[in-house]
Amino acid sequence: MNLDLFEADEKEEGGAESSPLSAGSGGDPVRPPAALCRTDGPLALEDAAGEKAPSETVEQLPTVWSVSQVNQAVRALLEGSLPPLWVSGEVANWTRARSGHCYFTLKDEAAQLRCVLWRTDAARLPMDPEEGMRIRVFGQLTLYEARGEYQMAARVLEGEGGEGLWKLAFERLRRKLEGEGLLAPERKRPLPRFPRVVGVVTSLTGAALHDILTVLGRRAPWLRVLVRGTRVQGEGAALEVAEALRVLGESGAVEVIIVGRGGGSQEDLWAFNEEVVARAVVECPVPVISAVGHEVDVTISDLVADMRAPTPSAAAEAVAPDREEILRHLEGAGVRLARGLRRVVDRPRRSLARLREGLRRGARALTARHRRAAEVAGIRLRRIGPRLTERHRRRVREGMGSLSRRIRALVGARRSVLARLGGKMDALSPLSTLRRGYAVPLDQEGRVLRGVEEFTPGGAFDLRVVDGRVRCETKDRRKEEVHGE
Amino acid sequence: MPEEGGSHALSLEERLRRLEEIVGELETEELGLDRSLALFEEGVRLVKEAEEALASAELRVEELLGEGGALRTRPLQEGEG
Repeated sequence: MNLDLFEADEKEEGGAESSPLSAGSGGDPVRPPAALCRTDGPLALEDAAGEKAPSETVEQLPTVWSVSQVNQAVRALLEGSLPPLWVSGEVANWTRARSGHCYFTLKDEAAQLRCVLWRTDAARLPMDPEEGMRIRVFGQLTLYEARGEYQMAARVLEGEGGEGLWKLAFERLRRKLEGEGLLAPERKRPLPRFPRVVGVVTSLTGAALHDILTVLGRRAPWLRVLVRGTRVQGEGAALEVAEALRVLGESGAVEVIIVGRGGGSQEDLWAFNEEVVARAVVECPVPVISAVGHEVDVTISDLVADMRAPTPSAAAEAVAPDREEILRHLEGAGVRLARGLRRVVDRPRRSLARLREGLRRGARALTARHRRAAEVAGIRLRRIGPRLTERHRRRVREGMGSLSRRIRALVGARRSVLARLGGKMDALSPLSTLRRGYAVPLDQEGRVLRGVEEFTPGGAFDLRVVDGRVRCETKDRRKEEVHGE
Repeated sequence: MPEEGGSHALSLEERLRRLEEIVGELETEELGLDRSLALFEEGVRLVKEAEEALASAELRVEELLGEGGALRTRPLQEGEG
């Protein structure tokens, strides 16, 4: 096939492009053979009566036709006698001209049909059909007058099996990217747990943006959202989406990007199956969540993204931690902090208790020993008593007294050490509680006020805070149900 | 690019991460009383700041305009576009 020839075709055909098509789409498929009379040369068919012309043979006409007239007549016959129709066959010699028009031949075992697919229709194809592929086309049979060849002007081209061409294009790109390792699970980057700024690439007027903002506003209203608006379907949409991903990613302002759109037909979603979008997702410096269409729609963009969300709302949920969840988390952290501190304080307190118990036992043993010693001494005293002078007796009594004083002093000293240590420990927990911002209400007598009932309306009380007291007055009391542990 | 302003030097994520560290240390390490108290107080402060950060807030939505070095933003109202 000669490309130059096609280019020429296209130029020649330019003006005529709309005529067969408009004839085809007009209500009356059979064009009146007025074209037979539409001549402007010297060989005008003055006698050709409109109604009779189709049934007349050329030989019967009184004048000689020009080639142009013949081709015009045949073209009118062709276009007028057959309505637009579906034709299926195998593709051969597919050529996409620089102009964007596509030329090909449709074949079966015995015959061929030349076809043309104009640029605007060709642009909607997800890919060019492959040689030998079974397709079907819908269009109008017409005659290309410049060459006297008849052809089919196709409007629609489909792979056999409904969406064959789309599926093929999808699979082909998927395999290519897979071959480069771009679908590998280990490539997936984790999303930031608590992002501050979220990027969104989608249509500014679409339902997707609305859904995303609604969810983010509800779950994580502290977020900042940077939107880069793009078209999300039609010619050039894929390029815009890819460019938006690049600009937003390279801005350095966002920590994660949601790219996507709401539901639509396979053709509507096609931009997200194009390689340029897939590459932009892969190259994005921050993690990308792809959310295209509904749950059932899976696109190439979904496959290469760091995360695939079934819908735009789901993408927003994935990117935004729930406020309630964080608050619960914070509450838990507070409890764990307090428990951790108590553990530290309790450790010496426990050993102190052990020590105290040991001392108490020691002291008891000490006193018992002393008592025994006194008894023994008493017995001996009684035994030897009669032999002792009053002076001796006094010395023994004095000795016994000083021994018991010393024992008492020893035990007492240890006890006061214990009491000091214990006091220090006990002071720790209320101190740390007050330090954390808690306060204790006390009445005039210094008793702790524990419930609403204990506050007198209009009455005064003291608030004990970490570094002093604050005088307060009860203005209003309100009892509330307490749920809790 | 207007940067995230405000007096809070730490992001919510950084605060929560530090809080995890503190709780972990306090729960597992054999610490002295002074060190424990210091960690405890830092932790309580982080909890408070994080709660404040969560409480302040209305979603800020902006459109990113321009190219390359000439990026700018403008507030985006829902429904326009």
